[in-house]
Amino acid sequence: MKRTDDDRATDGGTKPAADGGTGDVFAFEATEDVTTVQRYREFLHEAVYLPAREAWRDWRMKVGLFLIAGYLAMGLIAWISGSSFGIWEGVTIIEQPTSNQFGGFEYNNQPPFQSMEYPLGTDSTGRDILGGIVHATPDMLKMTFAGGVYVVVVATVVGTVAGYKGGRVDSVLTTISDVVMTIPGLPLVIVVATMIDPRNPWIIGPLLVVGWWAGLARTIRAQVLSIREHSYVEASRTMGITTPRIIQKDILPNLMPYIMVNFVMSARQVIFNGVGLYFLGILAHGSYSDNWGVMMQFAYTHASALLVPERAYQLLIPMAVIVGLSFGLILFSQGTDRLFNPRVRHRGSGETEEEGDDQVTTTIT
Amino acid sequence: MSTHEPTRTNDARTHEVADPILEIRDAEVVFEMDRGVSRVLDNVSIDIERGEVLGIVGESGSGKSMLASAMLDAVVDPGILSGEITFHPPDGEPVDVLAQDQEGIRELRWEDISMVFQGAMSSFNPTMKVGGHFEETLKAHEYDVEAGMERARELLADLYLEPDRVLDSFAHELSGGMQQRALIALSLVLEPDVLVMDEPTAALDLLMQRSILALLEELKAKYDLTLVFITHDLPLIAELADRLAVMYAFELVEVADSDSILSRAVHPYTRSLLNATPNLDAPLSEMRPIEGSAPDPVNVPEGCSYHPRCPLADEECVSQDPGFRPTHTEDHLAACFHWEEASEAIPFNIEREVNDE
Amino acid sequence: MNWFIKRIGQGLFTVFAVATLTFVLVRTMPGSPSQRLASQIREQQPNMSTQEINAMVAQRIGVDPDRPLHEAYIEYMVNLAQGNLGESINYQEPVFDIIARALPWTAFVMTISLLFVFVMGLGLGAVMAYREGSRFDVGSSLIAIFLSSVPYYVAAVILIYVLAIELSAFPLSGRYPSDVEPGFTLAFVGGALYHAVLPAASFVITSWGGFALGMRGNSIQVLGQDYIRVAKLRGLTDRRIALRYVGRNAVLPMWTSFLITIGFMFGSSIILEEIFSYRGIGYYMFDSIDNRDYPVMMGTFLVITICVIVAVLIADMTYGKIDPRVEAGGDNEAY
Repeated sequence: MKRTDDDRATDGGTKPAADGGTGDVFAFEATEDVTTVQRYREFLHEAVYLPAREAWRDWRMKVGLFLIAGYLAMGLIAWISGSSFGIWEGVTIIEQPTSNQFGGFEYNNQPPFQSMEYPLGTDSTGRDILGGIVHATPDMLKMTFAGGVYVVVVATVVGTVAGYKGGRVDSVLTTISDVVMTIPGLPLVIVVATMIDPRNPWIIGPLLVVGWWAGLARTIRAQVLSIREHSYVEASRTMGITTPRIIQKDILPNLMPYIMVNFVMSARQVIFNGVGLYFLGILAHGSYSDNWGVMMQFAYTHASALLVPERAYQLLIPMAVIVGLSFGLILFSQGTDRLFNPRVRHRGSGETEEEGDDQVTTTIT
Repeated sequence: MSTHEPTRTNDARTHEVADPILEIRDAEVVFEMDRGVSRVLDNVSIDIERGEVLGIVGESGSGKSMLASAMLDAVVDPGILSGEITFHPPDGEPVDVLAQDQEGIRELRWEDISMVFQGAMSSFNPTMKVGGHFEETLKAHEYDVEAGMERARELLADLYLEPDRVLDSFAHELSGGMQQRALIALSLVLEPDVLVMDEPTAALDLLMQRSILALLEELKAKYDLTLVFITHDLPLIAELADRLAVMYAFELVEVADSDSILSRAVHPYTRSLLNATPNLDAPLSEMRPIEGSAPDPVNVPEGCSYHPRCPLADEECVSQDPGFRPTHTEDHLAACFHWEEASEAIPFNIEREVNDE
Repeated sequence: MNWFIKRIGQGLFTVFAVATLTFVLVRTMPGSPSQRLASQIREQQPNMSTQEINAMVAQRIGVDPDRPLHEAYIEYMVNLAQGNLGESINYQEPVFDIIARALPWTAFVMTISLLFVFVMGLGLGAVMAYREGSRFDVGSSLIAIFLSSVPYYVAAVILIYVLAIELSAFPLSGRYPSDVEPGFTLAFVGGALYHAVLPAASFVITSWGGFALGMRGNSIQVLGQDYIRVAKLRGLTDRRIALRYVGRNAVLPMWTSFLITIGFMFGSSIILEEIFSYRGIGYYMFDSIDNRDYPVMMGTFLVITICVIVAVLIADMTYGKIDPRVEAGGDNEAY
């Protein structure tokens, strides 16, 4: 029985003498015959289902997703309550808070857990705190999401282009990244925010993390450079596989951990910076239910919540809400550790599988 | 399979030698895992003769690295090593390796039995100069640093390196071959009697592999070493080794003189391994990969563990463990019921030349 | 050496870019500060001629609204190069003097904070890695993650509430006790440290967690490396392996985060110093925004940028010294 070269190539992995990773190259070739639908289904299974199942085993992921889902639900409630769109026209689950919404002065500064009408109490002008929290959520989520997407998209484009093109393009983009990275973030945001006084959450979000893409772009560039040198990418290239295909199949999957972690960290930064600027009145246009930071500001300045212990709840509640969302986001990103860090995943299987320096270090600063 | 009983006893069937430097009896390594007990070394018994070069050959995942670690009692953490390992120093009482306390084993390692790992780059601290590794090793073992460094220089020179340059470099500043040689020098700096090498040449190109083997031969003679060389590359080691031990599925399946293995291997696995190895003399079309894959350590097949992949397997092989037995000669041991039929059933794809020195 | 020059050049370029940016913002934005300032002066002193007002604006913020753009730009840059940051509208004194008085205080609090963040974060992270999976590890990780989700200003508010107002254990605001003469006396330095505790603590409490988790991850990775195993087999002491092998190799990748933290801290000083009425550079920047004191705003922004650049430059150069893999002149992946 004589075997052809191709036959041998496809089961190259069983050759006892071939300890190295040559099997990968041939495995790639083998998948070429599979139909597109099958490949797509396989991709979904491997890229979505298996990681999701693995991630779900991590308690951090579960708690994180649970918290994030809670905030999304709050945003949805606020949207339905405020919407005049179709069937939601007449539906109001939680009212937009207004001064003295429950009647006279006797409803001012009501502590939480006293009445079903205002479960979290009222502020110094009789506004429902729960209502404020809920109605500030949609804008907060929009800002957060916009900021995260902005950072990830800009960084990925700049990083991959710089890493893949090399040469002059690379050195220009890298220099720009370096410069942007050294400009202190918050002062820049404050100066620009003061000058242009933005109001649209889709603009405020990216503005709050305007220079954050630079760090991630550097990381992605370094990764692209190192992945480019990997044997399997080399192999794909010599086999005549197109650049977009290589990026999609070999490079992007390796970058996902960085992208995920940075998305979450930029989102957290949007929350921190955004709330902080509203709290101190730098983003000054806020009305009570615009942002949790505005609620803090009202509690801090109008109600003197810091000095009057009975009113501390007016400050504590929005603060807890902020911490809750960023806690959810960070738990989520820590939970992805299990997905992207092979050492964690394979621990206890008796085989030591090393991934070298591909490990992602989640650093929160 | 967690009730898996030890399948092989030692005694008469162990390959015994006249003057052993290392005696390994019933060495077993198990890992407790979620899906059962993983037995990555299954009752291996073998003697290593003073001054010989023993080659241990097997596929990746056959347990050969475990056997290497076991010789220094250096199995990584969740693994549990049992059995008996005795080291016979050139002078003095035999040492029971596994019974040593922490200090005892610390002294035994590197001073008596040393080891070179696969992948030299990852064996050096990336933020310390190569010379620092030598110094700290000498200090840790309370050797005279000055004399030790002199020896290190000599060793490096023996390995055709420029001692001062290498000692003053970081690992990443050296080429792969240089790192590997520096690592060999580091493992010999305390003048051990035994040097265990786990795939020391796997990451190097063919030319470098050959030259390192040649250097090893010189070192062995000069420093009176016993070498244990672990590899997946049978033909590579066959030239250097006096004796070969072939591992399959965490057990030894054949032990004999190198020449005897090359010319008349009797275990079907060894024969297929020889046929599967690329050889310049053999046409590519004659190369035969071994069908099937290596067994899972949690679930090793009953009977002869090679039976699912063996063309000679019959019911006896499925139900019973063949055990080690003498074949052509008393010294050529193999674990196979059908060793006499093997050479006919699995002919070599090339005639192998045996050089009787 | 090439690398060093390139680094400095890049730093200078960044300063230049920020200066240009502030000029563009101040000069060209609709309803720009220069116009606002002009109308502000006109309100205060209706008798002044337009020319006089423009001259005053130019003197205050270095931007003359009537001059052609390029001329004004060149004059502004020349002024900056001479260290002339203009004059504060609010305080009627040179911006440079205000900053020179404020900056040391910010540097003082920041140095203390950075020191604690680094020592606590790296130390705890390494211990967590060594005891991976233990109750200590899980508990510390949880606390670290939780504290990282607390914004530093929230921590500041809570610290003020508990330690300054309820327990009166620490001063609520200020840089040093009002009854102590400034000078290198024990009372003054002690008092300054006492006043710095809460601002620094707000930052340390919310920032050590990120470092600890990063250090933990790095250490776990290093602990799994072959060279650790080889070092153990070579009989090195646990202490040496922990410091020379695990510690050093795990800390080095943290350097980037350290650099980013420096910039981040300057940013957070704006909010923290406002909350604690701590008259550092951040306090004056906030103050200038509140009062639309543009010269101070531009000046503080520029000086903060320069501080970050210098800090990063120093850190960057030392990194090249401690990590042999980074070769001066080569591509520096430290940053």
